[in-house]
Amino acid sequence: MKELSPTSHLEMEEKDKTFLDATELTLNMGPQHPSTHGVLRVILKLDGEKILGTECVIGYLHRGVEKIAEHRTYTMFNPYVDRMDYVAAVSNGLGYCEAVERLLNVEAPPRANYIRVILTELNRIASHQLWLGTHALDIGAITPVFYCFRDREEILKIFEKYCGARLTTHAFRIGGCQYETYEGFEKEVLKFCDFVDPKIDEYEELLTHNRIWVERTKGVGVITGDECKALGVTGPVLRGSGVKWDLRKAQPYAVYKNFEFEIPTGQNGDTYDRYLVRVAEMRQSLRIIRQAVGGIPEGPIMAKIPKVLKPPVGEVYHSIEAPKGELGYFIVSDGSTQPYRVRVRPPSFVNLQALDTMVRGRLVADVVAIIGTIDIVLGEVDR
Amino acid sequence: MLNQLTSYLHQNVTPGEAGNLVWATLYILIIFAGVSLAVILMNWGERKALAHMQVRLGPMRVGPHGLLQPIADAVKLLIKEDIMPSEADRLVFWMAPLAVVIAAFTVYLVVPFGPTHAVTDMNIGILFMLGTSSLGVLGIIMAGWASNSHYPLLGSLRSSAQMVSYEIAMGLAVVSAVLMTSFTGTGPWAAGSGSGVGTLSMIGIVEAQKTQHVWFVFKFFPLGLMAFMVFAIAMVAETNRAPFDLPEAESELVAGFHTEYSGFRWSLFFLAEYAAMIAVSSIAVTLWLGGWLRPFGTWLSGPTWDVVFSLVPGGFFLLLALAAFYNTARMPRHPMLRVQTLGLGAFGALLGLIGLLLLAPPVRDRIQDIFWFVFKVAVFMYLYIWYRGTFPRYRFDQLMKVGWKVLLPLGLAVLIATALVGVGPELAAWARGGH
Amino acid sequence: MRARAVTFVRKALLGDLFQGLAVTFRNQHPGQVYTEQYPLERPQIAERYRGLPRLHVNPETGETLCIACDLCAKACPEHLITVESERDAATRRKRLTRYWFDISRCMFCGLCQEACSTDALELSQDFELAQYSRDGLVLNRSRLEHGPETTVYTR
Repeated sequence: MKELSPTSHLEMEEKDKTFLDATELTLNMGPQHPSTHGVLRVILKLDGEKILGTECVIGYLHRGVEKIAEHRTYTMFNPYVDRMDYVAAVSNGLGYCEAVERLLNVEAPPRANYIRVILTELNRIASHQLWLGTHALDIGAITPVFYCFRDREEILKIFEKYCGARLTTHAFRIGGCQYETYEGFEKEVLKFCDFVDPKIDEYEELLTHNRIWVERTKGVGVITGDECKALGVTGPVLRGSGVKWDLRKAQPYAVYKNFEFEIPTGQNGDTYDRYLVRVAEMRQSLRIIRQAVGGIPEGPIMAKIPKVLKPPVGEVYHSIEAPKGELGYFIVSDGSTQPYRVRVRPPSFVNLQALDTMVRGRLVADVVAIIGTIDIVLGEVDR
Repeated sequence: MLNQLTSYLHQNVTPGEAGNLVWATLYILIIFAGVSLAVILMNWGERKALAHMQVRLGPMRVGPHGLLQPIADAVKLLIKEDIMPSEADRLVFWMAPLAVVIAAFTVYLVVPFGPTHAVTDMNIGILFMLGTSSLGVLGIIMAGWASNSHYPLLGSLRSSAQMVSYEIAMGLAVVSAVLMTSFTGTGPWAAGSGSGVGTLSMIGIVEAQKTQHVWFVFKFFPLGLMAFMVFAIAMVAETNRAPFDLPEAESELVAGFHTEYSGFRWSLFFLAEYAAMIAVSSIAVTLWLGGWLRPFGTWLSGPTWDVVFSLVPGGFFLLLALAAFYNTARMPRHPMLRVQTLGLGAFGALLGLIGLLLLAPPVRDRIQDIFWFVFKVAVFMYLYIWYRGTFPRYRFDQLMKVGWKVLLPLGLAVLIATALVGVGPELAAWARGGH
Repeated sequence: MRARAVTFVRKALLGDLFQGLAVTFRNQHPGQVYTEQYPLERPQIAERYRGLPRLHVNPETGETLCIACDLCAKACPEHLITVESERDAATRRKRLTRYWFDISRCMFCGLCQEACSTDALELSQDFELAQYSRDGLVLNRSRLEHGPETTVYTR
């Protein structure tokens, strides 16, 4: 029986073997690498410079978050979910709180929902800015990362003023929001929207029509809509391939029904289209924020829930449109104060499967760009 | 020897031509010191300018505004452990940085800082420069080979392939500039009649621009400009700088050819890279931008304008001194920064003294040529930094495509067009008169 | 047709490259610099910032505001708070004796300050929490009440 190795399935078939087999090379892009966005190990099987297949080895950032959930109460587990997608922590909190609210059969009051939407959309812009900066850095443009981080600072300042932390925000609570908006919140958010609009134009000035950028990203990492659907890929990767699917419109949650916004889609499913989709999404987020800030209703910010949370026996799966794709929470309750099982469906984990399809036949220099364009956060992939 | 020292002062040629060994050695030492100083300044300038483009400050702690940072870097590199891979080819490993540095510095023998301010003026000057700078490629291949590791080897092969490809485009652009030296007409459009004699000598090329009263970048617009642009892009690729720096990029898999080098050996590669950058920039300046000629030499001519322009070097240093004093005043009032504030003030005073010295009449007439040449090369250095801050990186196959499929045909077309425009009047006369 | 001609000319004259160069050039303006030169310039911290925990005392009497209800210890997801109290014989109320807060594994989630029934426990705006030893990260009652002892360096 032939011994199986992690890369056995990547062995070349007889017809593909070249005359000089010495060109076949297994390359390891090890867990420590300046541009794999965290500790991701990618084993590449190469034919000279062309890639025949890849294998991702993950788990270097596994912290047992789902196991921890089984030993914490629902309220206590709230701060832990921020640490999964640590770049866009607010969405994680939103997904979890809404899932538990479904389990408890309560609804957050409208004012809380408006605050949630504003913060989540700000968080989407922040996540896409970080993505843009690091993606450009991988491709060699070393200045957009600083511009993106500088502009992202303003969002983090708003988060800090609202809930007390910049990155691991713990912004929402089960049943609504803990914090009332601070004095001048609406004004600052609107000021930020006016501030960042020309900045997004600046990023586009630097990159969108730049011939080097276009050559590096057009036609690179192509994946079709059907392949995406087959793999379960969601988010900007799916929308870049032309499929108009966004959970905010397809299965609206919070108060997204009240706002007018568009779903940007691409056509070719390559890196360039995904770049355009994410930049357009930033602009649509600004649109949503402006509408939301204009109409925050008065009222309570917390629903009436018991002090000790004991959801009825049952299970719920609730997913939201996180900046990276569909973030889902499957919570099984056994009637006690601690969940029986919390399973997180991280978008980065599922999207990472698309790496193999996107990278076949491309050159080694494209791998870094393609990993960047999927937009993964290892905290989410490994949990 | 004293005779040699004094006799040269009355001659109007370069020391090499005069056969004056003492002055030639003096010039070599001055140029060596100057280039080293330029590399140090370039190190500081790159970090600060790139930082400001990236909305940050760059080095601020090591000396006021990071002015002592290059010295700290140099000391660090000198005292670092010298690591040699155990399986490496020792002789080749030792020789590679030497080859690159020697090739990079030998080029400066013919770089003209003024009509007689060059070590020597070979009559094949530009050919010598291009040839010697190509020897650096040998050093890079040696470095990759000696490291005995396939990543540096691949990196060095790519690096050398890139450099060799872009040398062709560079060469074609250079030929079209050399062709322009043979024209006898003056002004940007006249080719002149009769056969002029072109020259390959560096000083001769600048003299040709002087006699034709036009910088070659404006000659036969847009042909001179296109040749200049071809050279400007090719020289960035030749020196492995952004956006053509894939072979030495950090975020790519294949590390550069200098991966296995540390400490002093690495600093030699670094020195050679910057010296090569300055060398190709001086080629560009000499061939197209009028070398040591002051700007607006024909439009704003006359003794008064000469005096005005001769005040520029001193004024430039006085401006720098002013900037230093302004920043001294702006330094935060913290006991931690006392020494730095003092140092910056002293530096400003030094710059001011140099500026005043350069304003003195006997100095300011003589310093003109050198100043304008160095100023133009400095502009090119800034352009290098600007490109690095702005553009993404080309992938290797795209890089080679640009070199072979874009710049080469363009260079060839510009050359043929320049030749046609150049002999145009003669052809027309022959067609009309016929003899 | 005209649009295509314009695009061709723009591409030939490297218009997109000059556009990018203009962006980086104008961002060089010193007013655009975003760096804060810590420690000379301290950052502005928001009021709600969740930093170093502090146990507040009554400013007039100097007595602790903590009533030893133990809600903070129960709320902490990592069980990092230990509250020791004794029953006061006279008033029959609980009185705080010792209090430990381990910030080595603290998430700074703020559940403890939310759970506090008085205004005693608060996560202050202090973010400079480094210590020289692991034991230094376990704060006892006096360190929580007095706050951090900072050394200001001038050289």
